[in-house]
Amino acid sequence: MDVIALLPVPEAIPAPRHVFEALDIAGFVVHLIFINIVVGGVFIALASRLRDRGFTTGGGAHGPAINSIPTALALGINFGVAPLLFTQLLYGHLLYTSSVLMAVFWILVIPLLLIGYYCAYIYTHNDATSPRLSFIALCTLAIILLYIPFIFVNNMTLMLHPEKWTGYFSNRGGTMLNLSDSTIIPRYLHFLAASVAVAGLFSALIWRRRAANGAPSASHNIAGGLRIYAAGTVVQMCAGAWLLLSLPRDIMIQFLGANAAYTAILALGIIAAFASLVTALRARPAPTAGLLCGVIVLMAVSRANLRTAYLAPFFSTGNLAVTPQYGAAILFFAVFAAGITAITYMLKMTSPKTGRA
Amino acid sequence: MNYPVWDLTFIGGGSLIALISIVHVYIAHLAVGGGLFLWLADLKAHRDNSIPLNDYLRRYNWFFLLVSMVFGGVTGVGIWFIIGLVCPAATSALIHTFVFVWAAEWVCFLGEIVALLVYHYYFDALDRKHRLIVAFMYFVFAWLSLFFINGILSFMLSSGSWTETGGVLRAFFNPTFAPSLFFRSCAAFMLAGLFGYVTTVFSEENDFRGHMMRYCTKWLLYPMIGLILSGAWYYAAVPADARYTSFFVNPEMAVYVRILVASTVLIFTGGLAISLRSEARIQKAITAALVAIGLFWMGGFEYVREISRKPWVIDRYMYSTSILKSDEARLNAEGALRNAKWSAVRNVNGGNAFDAGREIFRLQCQGCHTIGGIKNDILPRTAHFTRLGLLAQLTGQGMAKRYMPPFIGDAAEKDALITYILQGLHQRRPNAQSASSVITPLKNEPVPAFNANVDSYVLLCWNDLGMRLVTDCDRWFSISPPANTLGAMLVKRGVSPEIVTDGVTLTYRIESGHENPSRHSRFWDFCQSLFGAKPAANTGLTGNGLSGNFIYNEKSSSFVAESIPVLPYGDSGAYNPYPVCTIEARDTTTGKLLMATKAVAPVSTEMGCRNCHGGGWRWNNYSGISDDTATSILEMHDRSNGTSLLARAKRGRPALCQNCHADPALTAKGDGKRLNLSAAIHGLHAPYMPRRGAENCVLCHPAGAKGATRFARGVHRQAGIDCVHCHGAMDGHAASLLNAEKGKHAAAGLLAGIQRSGSLATTDVAPRVPWQQEPDCLTCHVNFEKPAESPSAFNRWTSDASELYRTRTDNIGIRCEACHNSPHAEYPAVNPYSARRDSLQPLQYGKAPYPIAANRGCAVCHRENKTESMHHDNMLRMMRRTVKF
Repeated sequence: MDVIALLPVPEAIPAPRHVFEALDIAGFVVHLIFINIVVGGVFIALASRLRDRGFTTGGGAHGPAINSIPTALALGINFGVAPLLFTQLLYGHLLYTSSVLMAVFWILVIPLLLIGYYCAYIYTHNDATSPRLSFIALCTLAIILLYIPFIFVNNMTLMLHPEKWTGYFSNRGGTMLNLSDSTIIPRYLHFLAASVAVAGLFSALIWRRRAANGAPSASHNIAGGLRIYAAGTVVQMCAGAWLLLSLPRDIMIQFLGANAAYTAILALGIIAAFASLVTALRARPAPTAGLLCGVIVLMAVSRANLRTAYLAPFFSTGNLAVTPQYGAAILFFAVFAAGITAITYMLKMTSPKTGRA
Repeated sequence: MNYPVWDLTFIGGGSLIALISIVHVYIAHLAVGGGLFLWLADLKAHRDNSIPLNDYLRRYNWFFLLVSMVFGGVTGVGIWFIIGLVCPAATSALIHTFVFVWAAEWVCFLGEIVALLVYHYYFDALDRKHRLIVAFMYFVFAWLSLFFINGILSFMLSSGSWTETGGVLRAFFNPTFAPSLFFRSCAAFMLAGLFGYVTTVFSEENDFRGHMMRYCTKWLLYPMIGLILSGAWYYAAVPADARYTSFFVNPEMAVYVRILVASTVLIFTGGLAISLRSEARIQKAITAALVAIGLFWMGGFEYVREISRKPWVIDRYMYSTSILKSDEARLNAEGALRNAKWSAVRNVNGGNAFDAGREIFRLQCQGCHTIGGIKNDILPRTAHFTRLGLLAQLTGQGMAKRYMPPFIGDAAEKDALITYILQGLHQRRPNAQSASSVITPLKNEPVPAFNANVDSYVLLCWNDLGMRLVTDCDRWFSISPPANTLGAMLVKRGVSPEIVTDGVTLTYRIESGHENPSRHSRFWDFCQSLFGAKPAANTGLTGNGLSGNFIYNEKSSSFVAESIPVLPYGDSGAYNPYPVCTIEARDTTTGKLLMATKAVAPVSTEMGCRNCHGGGWRWNNYSGISDDTATSILEMHDRSNGTSLLARAKRGRPALCQNCHADPALTAKGDGKRLNLSAAIHGLHAPYMPRRGAENCVLCHPAGAKGATRFARGVHRQAGIDCVHCHGAMDGHAASLLNAEKGKHAAAGLLAGIQRSGSLATTDVAPRVPWQQEPDCLTCHVNFEKPAESPSAFNRWTSDASELYRTRTDNIGIRCEACHNSPHAEYPAVNPYSARRDSLQPLQYGKAPYPIAANRGCAVCHRENKTESMHHDNMLRMMRRTVKF
């Protein structure tokens, strides 16, 4: 069967692709940070609960970070909507197809996320009063948070492989996965390790803020958080290397010199990651956070580059027809500007320095 | 066509979308209305300086956060997931059209979350002014979310001029945008009141609870006024065709409209009740009930909106089968499978029809129909259909009942889909149904005696219709009872013949073996329910039996024996649709036999419903509507029209169709609202006709060349004139009937579903009342002459019943039928059961099968030849067409 014939025909987009690619990556970066905090926070919480078999509550030193999980999840979901929208716009014909092939696993994400969301609240609100209930909620949430990224990794890779789509003709019930893909495990590990690292850094940042207010043991907790960051980053680097090596050769070499831009961006990302490792081990959360932001942006761009490289034989966003929608674009950017202004105004209210709180 | 289809044969993709969407929309509306509630209640708390209200708001906000942000947020993403899985093509089209709108909505979603989190976590920390600002900003963001999504949702229902002109803002501000926005806003405020109860009712402080419950009741009830007004506006703004199709044709709609109306009333009643009863226990119970009813209300409304959109997923742009309207013609020409990227079969050939059909089902049916599943199960909907019936369904799909999208594909694909439905879904063997009936010839009936030198009278007799069709499924319903009507004239021979109207007694007697129709029919068992009369067995509705007297009728200037309950079922078990009646004229005073003759009383029960609706024949596997056929018809009628005719029949009270549908044939007035019977039946079935010309007519009427009746046996048939030459093809025939019913809303709807094959548009076809305005013989036989080549009498109807062939007379009062015989059996007629059966009188009086006194045979009555065309012009000539038996 000619697999290229299976490719749905993409539709025209209403502005140059770079506009949406930029919005896609921007949204994805913010989404990733919040979700990393959630996933990493949950595993840190779980580890602190299990560490001394005493079911220590409160998340220990990382309690403040862990208590932010529900809020981070709310914002993570919200910021996931934006890249989901723009990915559908640019790659919808591929994403819908792979989603249908694994429809059962894909749609299960929603009820499980809902359960997980409530578990996050149950955990954070009952940790002190009902340790057993909160532990069950935490474990449930952890399992769900292992499931969801695994399915996302499957879908985001299956959409890149039309040659695997022919499996549909022997399985139309939506229960395919992309398990034969050698990049699945390193991608998955890469994400999980990054989550632990980011959550550790987030905890350190909270303690840094508290340190300004003279909180006791702040510096100790900052160092603890950054150690978690460092450990997660090291694991992540290994997973990243594994991922790079597991790529098909023609794609891999593009990130190893064959494509200068791809190579440079990835290399910068890796260098920044190493630099953040150094700052973390020196217990300096702010520069670490700054570097990490750079790392995430560069890695998100590399991820997009990897997708482009995979799709190159049969699809490029550059080939999408453009039918401009000036009026709607102005509407969006006006709403965006007004929305950000309003949000900034509200957030300022909560600031102890400038706000009304 | 563009995407793979997720096989959800039991639950159906639509139900999954509904499940996620309805709960989301319920909460999402609460999120909007609750925002305003929060702000105004907070304002009240500050104004009244109420600590209990302040505490209440803290609780309310926590509940609100868990419900609207968590549940609403995740289920909102869930909608994207599920529509992408079930309708990827439509989702893609919407995303590519409205990406900026959706992005703007996302900004509002973010603003909502931030505002809600700030309000919640800084509830006590913020000062009064700023807390109110945050609450207000939350409401603004939430309402703007509704504003943006409303534009996309309403676009799917009414795309306005977008399909012609394009332009995303034009699409966004579409015809139902504004009413929908008002309606949804009112709904949001109402639900804020409803959920206000939930957070209030658990309050321990009776005074505060009572106060807040009354406050919530205002929220619940006041928006209802806006809901009703904007609902009416919304309804009026729905495109007219969609409104008609959805609310008057689609049977699925009724239940959701009922749910919506009933739940509205219940919410209103509940709101009143909760403010009248102060007991916490009762208030809690009512609150719980209202939350459930509110969900039904939301579901009812969303289903009404969704159903209104059918057959489109995006109004006039994309069918619910995900096929673009603009691709329809090309796919019909090239084939759908060839253009379906995710079909395992690309071309239908001899061996893969089943697999090809399965693929087509998946692509075009499965979006709405489950297989043995929970909604729109395809199995009962196709269980009765024959292959021809399915072909008819697919041929007319989306035309008469425009809530279904049309079948799109070529003829081979249509056939393949039918094969799959029959063999795959119903495990039927191929070609299980026989196609033709073998008729058993009858012996030649002896020609009655006439001695031109001795006999003084000519007795002429005819049946008024040429064929009396009898429904013969009286246990279930009736369209037409056994009621054969004979007419007769007695002429006293002489140079100046005399039409005898008194002093004589005319009698009739059905042929032996047909005297006991009640042995073969249940008409007499159900006559009371059907006709409100209870005649004795073997007696017709006017009191006539199988033998009896004619009565002279001044109006028709002939003797009439009306409604003789003849059936084609002989006691011997033979099917004979042409039983012969013996008619005698006697001197009333002396009893002397003046003349005797014979005429057929044509009657058939061969209604072809089963050709499509399935089931066998009722009587000896030969004719008559079987129970299966009849119940299938009633099921469809009930489903489409909200009637309960099947249940009624099962209770032993079958209905006469003409109770509702007027019919001049039975002088039935109907209920005055519905279409007359002929217009309804022809109008509904016209789009479904799977064949061409007269081949369609004989699917229902017993004139098929392979049928058991073959009633078209007159001279026209021998001249190659078929039904269509006089009555028009089904489309024009139906259009003429519907055009006469224009005042009734169903007529316009059915007319719109008819595609004309002729040159005239449907609306230009001359209107006519059935049975009263029929083809006029003189349209072709101008001045009683030979017709032109390719004659057609279509579209020139008699102006009323007095001009009908069957009621007209010649210049001196002899009925046309007396000399030329009944319609469809005009002399010389060749009867399919025994050739001369219909021509006994011409053979009796003229020794030839031609019209009475044809071939210059004036002496039959005049005892001498004549030189003037007294009866009508151009009658003194030889027959053009000859027949030999």
